[in-house]
Amino acid sequence: MGDILDIIRSRKSIRRYKPDPVPDEMIDKILEAARWAPTGENYQPWRFIVIRDPETKNKIGRLAKLGSGSRMTAWYCLGEMQERFKKIKDPVKKAEVLRFMYSGEVSEFAKHAPLVIAVIGTLMEGSVDVPYDLSAAIENMLLEAHSLGLGACWVHGPVASTRDAKKFKEILKIPTGMGEYKVIAYVAIGWPTEERKHPRPKRPLEEMVYWEEFGRKGRPEYE
Amino acid sequence: MNKMEYCNDIMVRLEELLFHELSGCAAWKIELVGIDFIQSKEIKGNTPDEVVRNCIQEIKAAGLVKEMTYSIGGRDIKLELTMKDCLHLPKEVKLKRNGVKPYVCPITNMILDQLIEKLNFETTYMADVNIDEKTGECKVRSAIYEDEDKIGLVCDWSEE
Repeated sequence: MGDILDIIRSRKSIRRYKPDPVPDEMIDKILEAARWAPTGENYQPWRFIVIRDPETKNKIGRLAKLGSGSRMTAWYCLGEMQERFKKIKDPVKKAEVLRFMYSGEVSEFAKHAPLVIAVIGTLMEGSVDVPYDLSAAIENMLLEAHSLGLGACWVHGPVASTRDAKKFKEILKIPTGMGEYKVIAYVAIGWPTEERKHPRPKRPLEEMVYWEEFGRKGRPEYE
Repeated sequence: MNKMEYCNDIMVRLEELLFHELSGCAAWKIELVGIDFIQSKEIKGNTPDEVVRNCIQEIKAAGLVKEMTYSIGGRDIKLELTMKDCLHLPKEVKLKRNGVKPYVCPITNMILDQLIEKLNFETTYMADVNIDEKTGECKVRSAIYEDEDKIGLVCDWSEE
């Protein structure tokens, strides 16, 4: 059995796609990967809506753009975005990155993805772990898509606010009652147009791993 | 303990819990908290100023906040509310003492809701809640977007 760590390490969030469709057999494999995610008490609360219709994807892309743009415009006006991107030294580049963010364009890419899969969970069957189960399913989808040579991105922004989540449900005709279904995210998938040249750096394990108790760093001897 | 203390204590527990579950994203989820009061009123107005003024009038008349002022600026997307002696101030103070930055202002939610409901604003976002327990004053800054084109109209709010 191969080491899945190679797949995990080389996966990146991909937001730019070729227009070519994702073959049905690949869609099935991605959904199959989701189906085998861990789930509390085997409830399997997840439901998936596979979206290829351009008009629906346009509506989702617009919703995502408005959601991110409305928050990031405010964050920019408060000075928070500038702080977040202070590592970019080139002022022209920085201005362009910031504009891309606060305009909301950063989140619009569902419009151009050949495939969007909405991940929702039923709240009516007694599961006590819906958000966690759905998150595990999404990670499986991302890894399977990557292993197939596809690019994918997990997008939570457009369903992050209560009003936007309702709009998202209405677009997809999901019942809107707060006790019915939770929309946690969608996953945009397609053939990547390019390799991401600058994968975001990851903190070293030493910074985040404690041994035996919180705050205790350094692997102790253990027999 | 009076009834308001009782309600505020319940809200503190719920807000702590929601923040613990969702971290910063909790603040994006609470936009409907408080709107039932204002939706039960017949708020009228054809402009943001009229709607905000009429909301404030109802809020003060009901005794929810003693003193309240507002300003709209920042290329017409910044709504700043200043409130003194709000019924929910003890909730914010307690939350802050417990280590959670206040993020649920039902009063602000009321006004943002009416901009959407009465003037068909595209969207709004409560961006920043600041409380001063010594003076009993809260300042809340929100972004209000009349239409899609308003998104991305940035400026420096600290200079206003």
